[in-house]
Amino acid sequence: MIYLDNAATSWPKPPAVARAVRNMLARAAGNPGRTSHHLAMDASIMVQECRENLAQLFGIANPLRICFTANATEALNLAIKGVLSPGDHVLCSSMEHNSVWRPLTKLQESGVELSIAEADACGVVDVASVERLLRYNTKLIAMLHASNVNGAIQPIAEIGRLARERGITMLVDAAQTAGALPIDVEAMHIDLLAFPGHKGLLGPQGTGGLYVSEKVDLRPLKEGGTGSDSNDPHQPLYYPDHLESGTLNLPGIAGLNESVRYLLRRGVAKLARRKAVLTQHLITRLAKIDGVTVYGPAAGLPRAAVVSFNIRELDPVLVATELERRADIACRAGWHCAGLAHRTQGTQVTGTVRFSPGPFTRMSDIETALGVVTELAHHA
Amino acid sequence: MAGCLVVFASLNQVALLKRALYREGVYVEMLRTPRCLSSTGCSFAVRCQPADMAPLLQTCRKWKIEPGGIFEETGELVSLQYRPLDLDKDEPAR
Repeated sequence: MIYLDNAATSWPKPPAVARAVRNMLARAAGNPGRTSHHLAMDASIMVQECRENLAQLFGIANPLRICFTANATEALNLAIKGVLSPGDHVLCSSMEHNSVWRPLTKLQESGVELSIAEADACGVVDVASVERLLRYNTKLIAMLHASNVNGAIQPIAEIGRLARERGITMLVDAAQTAGALPIDVEAMHIDLLAFPGHKGLLGPQGTGGLYVSEKVDLRPLKEGGTGSDSNDPHQPLYYPDHLESGTLNLPGIAGLNESVRYLLRRGVAKLARRKAVLTQHLITRLAKIDGVTVYGPAAGLPRAAVVSFNIRELDPVLVATELERRADIACRAGWHCAGLAHRTQGTQVTGTVRFSPGPFTRMSDIETALGVVTELAHHA
Repeated sequence: MAGCLVVFASLNQVALLKRALYREGVYVEMLRTPRCLSSTGCSFAVRCQPADMAPLLQTCRKWKIEPGGIFEETGELVSLQYRPLDLDKDEPAR
């Protein structure tokens, strides 16, 4: 199989990930915070190690400000609904995924004001346009780091600096960039960082997290058992207990811990450079195929390893089916859970085919995919 | 036996301290806080030698973790006793 669907979930994973999941289930699945036998205590040490590794990866000073969630969507909902109140103003980009667009749309019903900064033809938002949309009551800027539709990278550090100067909380959706591009929350002025564990971080599905700066306090999305202060009817105020109720996904976190260790060893920047070579080659060659339209930043411009395209009027779903039938190529077709982004780039009616290489993609995989796209374009 | 028991609100805090101290070559034991010291229900504690109190408290300050109580522990099982320590005044028994 040629796997070009890493933007949906990464595959394959480093072998240590599956080993860690299996080991946790078979030998060590104690429940941290609930008791004191060695399985539970050992599990708590593993969870803490994972927090520390994530903190190292993202330049986070205090690992206890990282809260585990089931995925980036849960982390984003936690951040958005934990910060905003009726009467607050929030700003996002026109490239957002539904996991930002839908919660914000929902909050409009309860009196939250929403502005959307329009991206340009490449899918990039201009900092000045963000600044023009700020209001006296702007509480939050919620923005994705890179588009899951076309790979466009937003100027997060510049927008974060603007937010910091104005006292506005900066939430970044790193669904496509955590583990895939270098992220430093301090240098990029990020107050809230939502990330999935199973995409660029190469961990298991069902893992993710939210970093919460010490400058920000969130209302929890859920209250419940934390294994701490059990006789108090109120949710603890200290982190991560404040936001982490219920038993954690320990097998998932064990796998995530190993995948983050892998990334720290290999280096995110080094892996990103390798993927950039593959992605730029893919874009350059796709753009030369008669009948193929490639979306997003042009060849040579920075982008995440996400490439959307169409072949003339062909249905993207049929193209994806044909890619799998002819060469066992796995990719994604359709609207990628991002209607707003498709509206922005003009593909809201058609959707697109999406190729997303990962750290284990080879140049020969890209060549094979290009060959099948060429065949399909020739016959379309 | 005479050791020190430092109580914390959360196992997450205790796990951070244990790993941070381990990196400095200090071994501490993690345990559930004994009932007589758990005023608010479940909590966790660190048991250490008196000599390790200084690095432990220094690590607490570094990570902004506030101990819920510091005690000297004497006796065994049914005879365990805890005496609150005021580190400004008291010196744990050695």
